[in-house]
Amino acid sequence: MLLEVNDLSLSLKRAGKYSKILDGISFQVAQGETLGIVGESGCGKSMTALSLMQLLPDKARLGGKVDLQGEQITSFSKRKLEKIRGNQMSMIFQDPLTSLNPLHTVGTQVEESLILHTKKSKQERRDRVLHLLRAVGLPRAEELIDEYPHQLSGGMRQRVMIAIAMACEPQLLICDEPTTALDVTVQAQILELMNDIKRQTKMGIIMITHDMGVVAEVCDRVIVMYAGKIVEEAPVIELFQNPKHPYTQGLLDSIPKLGERKKKLGSIPGTVPTPGNMPAGCRFADRCIHAMDICRSTLPPMINIQENHQTACWLYDEKEAKNDGSARSTELETALHN
Amino acid sequence: MDALRFIAKRLLLMIPILIGISILTFAISNTIPGDPARLILGPKATPEGLEALREDMGLNDPLYVQYGRYMAGIFQGDLGESTYSQRPVADDLIRYSPATFELTIFAMVITLLIGIPFGIISASRKDKIADQFTRIFALLGVAMPAFWLGLLLLLFFYLRLGVFPGSGRLDNGMSPPDYITGMYTVDALLTGNWPVFISAVMHLVLPGITLSAVTVGMITRMTRSSMLTVLQSDYIRTAYAKGAPENRVLYGHALRNGVMPVITLLGMAFGHALGGSVLVEAVFSWPGLGQYAVNAINYLDFPAVMGVTLLIAIMFILVNLIVDTMYFFIDPRLKHN
Repeated sequence: MLLEVNDLSLSLKRAGKYSKILDGISFQVAQGETLGIVGESGCGKSMTALSLMQLLPDKARLGGKVDLQGEQITSFSKRKLEKIRGNQMSMIFQDPLTSLNPLHTVGTQVEESLILHTKKSKQERRDRVLHLLRAVGLPRAEELIDEYPHQLSGGMRQRVMIAIAMACEPQLLICDEPTTALDVTVQAQILELMNDIKRQTKMGIIMITHDMGVVAEVCDRVIVMYAGKIVEEAPVIELFQNPKHPYTQGLLDSIPKLGERKKKLGSIPGTVPTPGNMPAGCRFADRCIHAMDICRSTLPPMINIQENHQTACWLYDEKEAKNDGSARSTELETALHN
Repeated sequence: MDALRFIAKRLLLMIPILIGISILTFAISNTIPGDPARLILGPKATPEGLEALREDMGLNDPLYVQYGRYMAGIFQGDLGESTYSQRPVADDLIRYSPATFELTIFAMVITLLIGIPFGIISASRKDKIADQFTRIFALLGVAMPAFWLGLLLLLFFYLRLGVFPGSGRLDNGMSPPDYITGMYTVDALLTGNWPVFISAVMHLVLPGITLSAVTVGMITRMTRSSMLTVLQSDYIRTAYAKGAPENRVLYGHALRNGVMPVITLLGMAFGHALGGSVLVEAVFSWPGLGQYAVNAINYLDFPAVMGVTLLIAIMFILVNLIVDTMYFFIDPRLKHN
């Protein structure tokens, strides 16, 4: 397995005390696989990514284990981490406008990873930078190499970011909302580029997004996060066809579908609980229309729906479903299948 | 090209600013109560003699006529004659200003060499001991009055320890180096006159530290806050994500971005040091413009006061122009927009 994340947790210091941002995050990414992480703002998607890269604020407490190609990187020293960042694993950020250094040329910024991680000569590095710029679909690479980020459009800057991330041919690429800050047409181009890269390399990709369209476009498997925990994990087609967790259902319900006459898009009432005020039971219980007594008192475990499809919801626990009355669960089953 | 147009525009803008300053200084010097003629002739002067001298100096004319006459002179390079030294003010300025420029530049070098590194250390070790120490140091620098710090330094390093000289520009009996710029350190260096160079530097230390205390504090604080903002930026995170070690991120990515507001402040700090030299020169008997200006005020020597004020104003504007021009070379965004 390329990446194995085991019981990852993260606490950040806020207003003098630590509060848990991530809790019990476990997942895997295989070589050549694209894993989507979805959820609304503040659910901990980006923090999961930054935890993998260990690009966290000074006073963050990271728990659990992260193994990259069999090496436990959570126990790595600062220097060892610097050697794998940008080399074995790279990251692309949300806002290409602010993610590039305004005072360095495009060429310098792409070249930096090569200087840090390879022993290439100056000429070799220049050739590689030119090759990378062309590979991410940027025109007139020879001129671009000496231009500054402000001379480029948003889409071009994101292509430069991708070139930077790809410079050392990483095994794992983490993309944090890479298309969110871009125009719709540019979004499509960038996604196409991501798919090209996927086909050409055996990289594992983690695609963080709140956009279900992006998920459908590039992901093989999806994790749904809610309030710092994973609530559902399934292959992408399975997730779209057969969502199990009420939160996932709500998320998919809120997307307009072409050719479908629907009076009103679904929305999920209420707001996400804040770190430090997490309820004892299921974190979604307060917003869930199916909430049972046990949901408010006890955290649901991951329950297997079928192979590769798991969800953290009491509705699918055989014992609980029985206790709560079979009438309700059959009603639910029919509701879900319609 | 754009930089040239920018400089030309700024140079033209200097004219109204200088006219404004000249009007202001002229008006203020003439509202000071006192009679220059009486000061020149002394207590035994006859009323007729006073009247004749006033008429001769043009003091009986309306203020705007006096001002017009003064400005007409300036455009011919004539700054008037100092009533105290009996020499043309222009000659006096040339004689006294190198000492002040030398001291001010020395103070600015100290400011750069201490202020910016301290600010960087402070920002990169935020809230740690090094940061706390630097912040207290910077606060002390900003808060301490220059004349008081000057006296303390004199007391300790000159009277008690005797490691640094306490007054003047050179040791007693040493003759100044051949005149090239008027700045003894520079002239001694150019002529290879090492004993004079060392003596001149030693004499600069205490007044230089005194003069730079405030500006070091200013620059340290500005560098710290600017670097802290920059270190929060997305492109710093990108640099770390590439696997760059902390020092490379700090000096390769953050410093150039963080130093920009500091450069603006450096221009201001230079002006501050130039103005502050009046007090510091008094404490260390430094024969520069500050001393000259203090004497001129005591003797109601209006042309001299006007001359010093205008010279300092021009220097201040020029330094800020140089500072602003530097942005064109640091920030590529200005070159293309």
